[in-house]
Amino acid sequence: QEPIRWRFQTYAGAALGEEVTKPAIDAINAACQGQLEIELFYADQIVPTGELFQALQRGTIDGVHSDDDSMASPTPVRSFGGYFPLATKHALDVPVLFNQYGLADIWREEYAKVGVHWLSAAGQDPCNFNTVNPIRSLSDLDGLKLYTFPTAGRFLSQFGVVPVNIPYEDAEVAVQTGELDGMAWSGITEDYTVGWADVTNYFCTNNISGAWIGSFFVNAEKWAELPDHLKQIVSSAIEASHTYRNQWYWGGEARLRASGEKLELTSVPQDEWKQVEDAAVKFWDEMAEEGETAAKIVQIFRDYNDVTSKAGPPYTFG
Amino acid sequence: MNAMRKYISVVDGFNHGLGRIAMYGIFVLMGILLWSSYNKTFASPQLWTLEMAQFVMVGYYILGGPYAMQMGANVRMDLFYAELTPRKKAWTDCITVLFLLIYLFILLWGGIESTMYSFKYGGERSPTAWRPYMWPVKVTMCIGISLMLLQAVSELFKDILFLKSGEDTRNAL
Amino acid sequence: MPYELIAILMFSTMMLMLLTGQRVFGAIGFVAVIAALFLWGDRGGYDIGFSAAIKLMRWYPLLTLPMFIFMGYVLSESKIADDLYKMFHVFMGGVRGGLAIGTIGLMVLISAMNGLSVAGMAIGATIALPELLKRNYDKLMVTGVIQAGSSLGILVPPSVVLVLYAMIARQPVGQLWLAGAIPGLMMATMFIIYIAIRCRINPELGPALPPEERDVGWPEKLRLLRAGLLPVVIFAVMMVPFVNGWTSLVESSAIGAIAAFLAAILKGRMTRQVFETSVRQTLAITCMFMWIILAALAFGAVFDGLGAVKAIENLFTEQWGLNPWVILILMQLSFLIMGTFLDDTAMLVIVAPLYVPLVGALGFDLVWYGVLYTITCQIAYMTPPFGYNLFLMRAMAPPEITITDIYRSIIPFVGVMILALAVVMLFPQIALWLPNYVYGK
Ligand SMILES: NC(=[NH2+])NCCC[C@H](N)C(=O)O
Ligand code: NA
Ligand code: NA
Repeated sequence: QEPIRWRFQTYAGAALGEEVTKPAIDAINAACQGQLEIELFYADQIVPTGELFQALQRGTIDGVHSDDDSMASPTPVRSFGGYFPLATKHALDVPVLFNQYGLADIWREEYAKVGVHWLSAAGQDPCNFNTVNPIRSLSDLDGLKLYTFPTAGRFLSQFGVVPVNIPYEDAEVAVQTGELDGMAWSGITEDYTVGWADVTNYFCTNNISGAWIGSFFVNAEKWAELPDHLKQIVSSAIEASHTYRNQWYWGGEARLRASGEKLELTSVPQDEWKQVEDAAVKFWDEMAEEGETAAKIVQIFRDYNDVTSKAGPPYTFG
Repeated sequence: MNAMRKYISVVDGFNHGLGRIAMYGIFVLMGILLWSSYNKTFASPQLWTLEMAQFVMVGYYILGGPYAMQMGANVRMDLFYAELTPRKKAWTDCITVLFLLIYLFILLWGGIESTMYSFKYGGERSPTAWRPYMWPVKVTMCIGISLMLLQAVSELFKDILFLKSGEDTRNAL
Repeated sequence: MPYELIAILMFSTMMLMLLTGQRVFGAIGFVAVIAALFLWGDRGGYDIGFSAAIKLMRWYPLLTLPMFIFMGYVLSESKIADDLYKMFHVFMGGVRGGLAIGTIGLMVLISAMNGLSVAGMAIGATIALPELLKRNYDKLMVTGVIQAGSSLGILVPPSVVLVLYAMIARQPVGQLWLAGAIPGLMMATMFIIYIAIRCRINPELGPALPPEERDVGWPEKLRLLRAGLLPVVIFAVMMVPFVNGWTSLVESSAIGAIAAFLAAILKGRMTRQVFETSVRQTLAITCMFMWIILAALAFGAVFDGLGAVKAIENLFTEQWGLNPWVILILMQLSFLIMGTFLDDTAMLVIVAPLYVPLVGALGFDLVWYGVLYTITCQIAYMTPPFGYNLFLMRAMAPPEITITDIYRSIIPFVGVMILALAVVMLFPQIALWLPNYVYGK
């Protein structure tokens, strides 16, 4: 019998995709024994990120791994995927928010409305800064051209950051062509993996969010056509890949901070960083005004953060 | 025949005029980039300049495209072509222009879908902090591609006229 | 149908279509969108052509393209390069073949002001060529000199081709540019040696100027020498802010274009006619490039979608079990062959994504490879049937130079370039020494 073929595009470039997306795809291909064959493509390879979502709706692309924010999802959950400012502290917060606090239902529903089947979300690395010049105080952010996420960029612009959005694979060279002063896009593991550590000098340990929220999506018709046992394989392999990614990031962040030689660590003092945290509270309020779904999501973030702050470390930073 | 002549003069005239306007886009582009350098060096970098420059560039080459085609700017690989007589050239062009038309048509098809998408869901916005709406640039692209299509048809008509009556309208402008 | 077969089919169809002499972008685009429909048409698929337009829009280094083109036309149309040319004329004219040698010098200076070869071609064909012919220089030789010399524009920094390569290979632009500098000068020297030897053997090819033509007196000589300052100033205005990180690459190119424009105005050379030609031609040439890249990006996306990358890698390493150097040489050869038919940006977009990762995986330095690639593009620019410098030459050359002349003229220079390519391949340090020295790797 002819295998079912999917074209799958990930947000990640080849170097990163190797770790964050490819393991899941390889596992699916191996387990499906030729009944389903997924071909994996990296950032902007088939369609540019800006056109990715509609390509997924149409079926030019069958599956996608990305956050909602940078693929310009047309749903109201858009701003909350990726790095919603100061919403999480650790990667494990994400599955808890989705599976215990109800984000999963919201995501599934919103995407069903636009012809896309949402499969699963997971947390990845925090969003720190890696820059050419050091960030030691908030004033160092002023005038900084940073490659960052749309929503995070909007948030950071009140501190003088100039967010720049270009294709993912162009970011490294853009630092060298002077289009960028650095990135607010990832943790340190990614900086080393994709080569950004080679073009920037400093890593600022303050993060604007503790875990990236990224999801796997499939074109709804394609999903419906898939036999149940293959659906099961796809879902399980993706869940399993979350575990791999978590270790990879969590271990890498610690090791590279402790002994990486390419990036020097800096920090903004905690009492000064408080301004950013306070600004986030306001930002959340503003975002909640955007509509009913947004309000519901922000409330979930508030509830969860309430719980963790009462619980204390390790759920909080101290 | 007369309809063809009419078509050629209308389409070429319009595209000529539009192209003459678009060609000054180079100065708009310079202005934006200069403004951007000025602010970066002496004030604070601007959110919108790079993206705006990209939009202007799109307008420049898409709306200027038909005029460039009139000028014969689109290169050809003329290993054999250069040796052909004018009539044979016209004959080949009559056939090969169909490929061009098909390409432009499918390009436009994708463009229209993408433009329609840009009006849906409350309007597609660019995933940048500036967040401009995407429809203006997409509409511009669709218009430009359509004009490119019309221009390609006009080139076809010119070849047909030439083959039929020997009259050379190709350098009319 | 197996994917490899489709890939081969696409490629050969495109080549065939190109041979019909139709507009290049139409041929490439047609094959791309039809293949996309055929492969993915059950759902979507028709959107690949247009997504390429969005990709192209976001490919920001292309903003430098119209800037460099405009700059080239301003420099050539306004004839501010006249004095530069006279400078070489006076200082080099006494030597056999001296004017041709001086033309290479002129081309190097122009290359340092510009990221493409258009400027060099335009200046060479409109200023140098008529002069050289008037002095009874051999027309085959000088036609070749101008085409070869102007192609240095993409090797001597700044270089648009190297920026595009940098984006695809993800290598540092600064290092790539520096890497091109010494090979560029080396190649210029090799051209000069070639000219000198030929003219020594056969003085007819490039007769020395009689002294009365060169003896313009020292005040005039000094004035002409000052003309040499212009490129230095433009180069500095463009590169100093860029190297210091005050402006980005794209902004710097705009500054360079404005600087050239102002220089022409200040020298009183910006007539209506010059203005009109520069602005119009910039649109024409930019459109030519952009529409080709637009089509090539769609082609590249489909090609990618077919997994052509993996197929080639597999073929070279697993199936044929080749040694890395053999693979490298095969790649350069295939680039050379494709370069005769294909536009260099199309080549970059379609084939480089296949080759570059492989080169990296084989353990070669990608900065060095960038230089090899650029030299190949230089060759591609002048080899028939498809080459930008050929086209420009045909458009601008005086009538006594026929197409056959143009085709024949490049043969020895292509030989020199292939030699240069081999030298840089054998001695990577020629390319890598300067960037390593400056960036202290
Ligand atoms: N759509 C995107 N490009 N997202 C980038 C996510 C980066 C994030 N650091 C990660 O986990 O990989
Ligand atoms: Na140059
Ligand atoms: Na060629």
